[in-house]
Amino acid sequence: MRKWYIYLLSIGCAVILYFTVFYTVKVLNAGLVGPGEPSDPDGGYRFVLITRERDTPFWNQVKDGALASAKRNGVSLEAWESYNRNEDEFMKNLDIAIASKVDGIIVQGLDTLEFKQLTMYRATESGIPVITVANDVPMNESLRKTYVGSNHYEAGQMVARQLLSDMGFSGKVVLMAADRQEEYQRSRLNGIIDALSGYPNIRVEIVATGTTREQIVQATNQYMNQHPDIEAFITTTGSNVSAVIQALGRRSKVDPYFIYSFDDNPEALTLLKQGKIDALVAQSPEAMGQESVDLMVRWLKGELLPLNSDGYFTDIRVLKAGSADE
Amino acid sequence: MNSIQKKILLLSAIVLFSMTFIWGLLSYYNQQTQERYNRILQRYLRMNEVTGLSQHTVTALNNYLLAPSPSQLHDLDTSKDQLIQAKQLVAELKNKDNEFTLANYMNMIDSLLDATDLSLMFFGQKNNEAATTRFSDATRISQYIAETTLTLIDKELKTYDDFYRGIIKQSDALKKLGFLILGLITVLMLLFAYWFSLGMTRPIQKLIFAARELSRGRFDLKIDVQSNDEIAFLARTFDRMRIDINNLISEIQHTAQLEIELQENRLHLKESQLRSLQSQINPHFLFNTLDTLSKKAFLEGSRQTSDLIVSVAGLLRYNLRHLDRAVTLRDERDVLLKYIDIQRARFPDRLRFVLEVDEDCLHVALPSLTLQPIIENAVIHGIEPLEDGGTITFRVYDGGEFVAVEIEDDGEGMPEEKIRQLFDGGGDPGQGHSTGIGFSNVVRRLKLFYGRDDVIDVISNPEQGTKVVLRLPTAIEKGESA
Repeated sequence: MRKWYIYLLSIGCAVILYFTVFYTVKVLNAGLVGPGEPSDPDGGYRFVLITRERDTPFWNQVKDGALASAKRNGVSLEAWESYNRNEDEFMKNLDIAIASKVDGIIVQGLDTLEFKQLTMYRATESGIPVITVANDVPMNESLRKTYVGSNHYEAGQMVARQLLSDMGFSGKVVLMAADRQEEYQRSRLNGIIDALSGYPNIRVEIVATGTTREQIVQATNQYMNQHPDIEAFITTTGSNVSAVIQALGRRSKVDPYFIYSFDDNPEALTLLKQGKIDALVAQSPEAMGQESVDLMVRWLKGELLPLNSDGYFTDIRVLKAGSADE
Repeated sequence: MNSIQKKILLLSAIVLFSMTFIWGLLSYYNQQTQERYNRILQRYLRMNEVTGLSQHTVTALNNYLLAPSPSQLHDLDTSKDQLIQAKQLVAELKNKDNEFTLANYMNMIDSLLDATDLSLMFFGQKNNEAATTRFSDATRISQYIAETTLTLIDKELKTYDDFYRGIIKQSDALKKLGFLILGLITVLMLLFAYWFSLGMTRPIQKLIFAARELSRGRFDLKIDVQSNDEIAFLARTFDRMRIDINNLISEIQHTAQLEIELQENRLHLKESQLRSLQSQINPHFLFNTLDTLSKKAFLEGSRQTSDLIVSVAGLLRYNLRHLDRAVTLRDERDVLLKYIDIQRARFPDRLRFVLEVDEDCLHVALPSLTLQPIIENAVIHGIEPLEDGGTITFRVYDGGEFVAVEIEDDGEGMPEEKIRQLFDGGGDPGQGHSTGIGFSNVVRRLKLFYGRDDVIDVISNPEQGTKVVLRLPTAIEKGESA
């Protein structure tokens, strides 16, 4: 009987010992490791990339390129994005960046007075260089150091040339422009118009569509009602094109129309693949991000003085419906 | 020999030590956790402090701009100083994840201070418009600071998420560990205490058993206690006591046996004496008659007969007088010589007697009538049966601690069986002995007298004779017992 008690006690002892060791190991290996030490106590250059569009494929690529380049150059970079072209937030971010005395601001240009004032006065006053990326604001209005992105004028001309080769030298073309005449849209329009101006048989109309989907659909419908003999559509931003195609699709077949656009976002690419879009001009967002950071670093280090104030243009290319797979 | 005390002290020390160790360990970990919590709280508090101070600075600036007075200015300077200090404290919170934001944060504080200073400067230059602009800058920056504080705290939460969860898990595990260790110690202590008490009580139980057996009179069970404490000592002592008692008892039994035998012999002797007195002549009359006979023989010129009669008388007198007393070896020798004279008269040609005595050894005490029966025995076995007679040698010499007395004959010798019979007193005691005292009686009396067994030895070789050796201790502890 007594032996049983001892056996029981010993077994209990072993079990408790096992759990004790188990929890001891757990306590000792709690893995309480805080975040690492700052990589560089004095910090390298600190850049911010300020955009108005969060989580769009285009800007994500810009961001990726910029971050990759920042890593390569050993500078720290943060992307401050605001939702849905929220300008107030965007301007505030810019203001914060200036107040934070970052070493360089890479910003999606915005053609507003407020933006220009902020970059012209406050950034310059604080000695912070500003590079516009993808969307430009004229140098003399913003005192930006340079611009990195597509040559939108050239892109417009490329679209126009594609249109001419597809449609021929006569027809009615409508240019769907967003409400706000941003610089890049304006350049694209100018490019198209300039390219088509040599062909008197081509009639060009400009329609201000607004930015929301409903507005675009409504504007398209309205215009189609007034001018049913339209042959080609060119939207100045890639995000508009699906709404235009939607509006057209409700009325008739889309195929007869020549539809052109800019920006190779996934939606537009799908439409291109389906053959609904005839061609679009693709940009190189990643290259924009990379080059903007590279230029900023080189300028700050004094390796490249002065920066070309006209801007550094990244690659643009025409994607046609047939070759969209690539 | 304080081993039980040592054991108890050891047990207490082990309990105390393990408890202290565990308490220390748990306290240490608890304190570590506490410190971690403190550090975390400190981080949050520091960040939050900056927000408050920046707002306070802006408020102070506003107050000063509205109503400039030295006290307001002092207030502003104070909050600015505090802000600078807070900034330095915040700088310590830098880590890999918040590096960028924190740098911005600190620069914003600088910007706020710059804007404040500029505002003050413009205000001093009476440039109110510029001062107001700078003031609004400061206000805005102060808002940014507040927002960035939240961002930082948010980042902090994200960065330290795993860390915080780790702390929670650890403290959870620690709590369980505490209970487990308590349980473990309890069980271990129970086992240890059981083992310990067993180690103490088992020997005691053995002792109790042994004591019970002893009290029942069994002295032959060995007390064997295997332990290394006082109880083992107790058991050993107890065992020694048992052995002693056992020895004493057997000695007493032995002595009693001898006493009984002796008593029997004495009674036997007394009876025979009485019988001889009854049946024979009154000793005084006998002695007187023997004296008269001796003198008459002497007067008649028979000198040898006269001497013989004197010897017989002396022998008889000695026999009657000294039976109960210790005598010296000298007395014994004298009687022996008288006896030999008588025997010589019996066997004039056959008995040859050799005397080799160290005179210095004759003071040794021994029971009376010891040697005479032995010699008589030698005569009976060594002389009588032989046609040519034999030689009896009597030697006394110093053997160191004892005096050796040897009585040797060159007769036929005795077989082992016979010797044993001699010692045991077998055969017919007293037969053929002049004094009625047999060899076995002598042996018993010697043993009793000296209290030891090795006093007498008989060496016998067939055809070479028998040698009886007495080793009489020179120092006698026992006074008189025979």
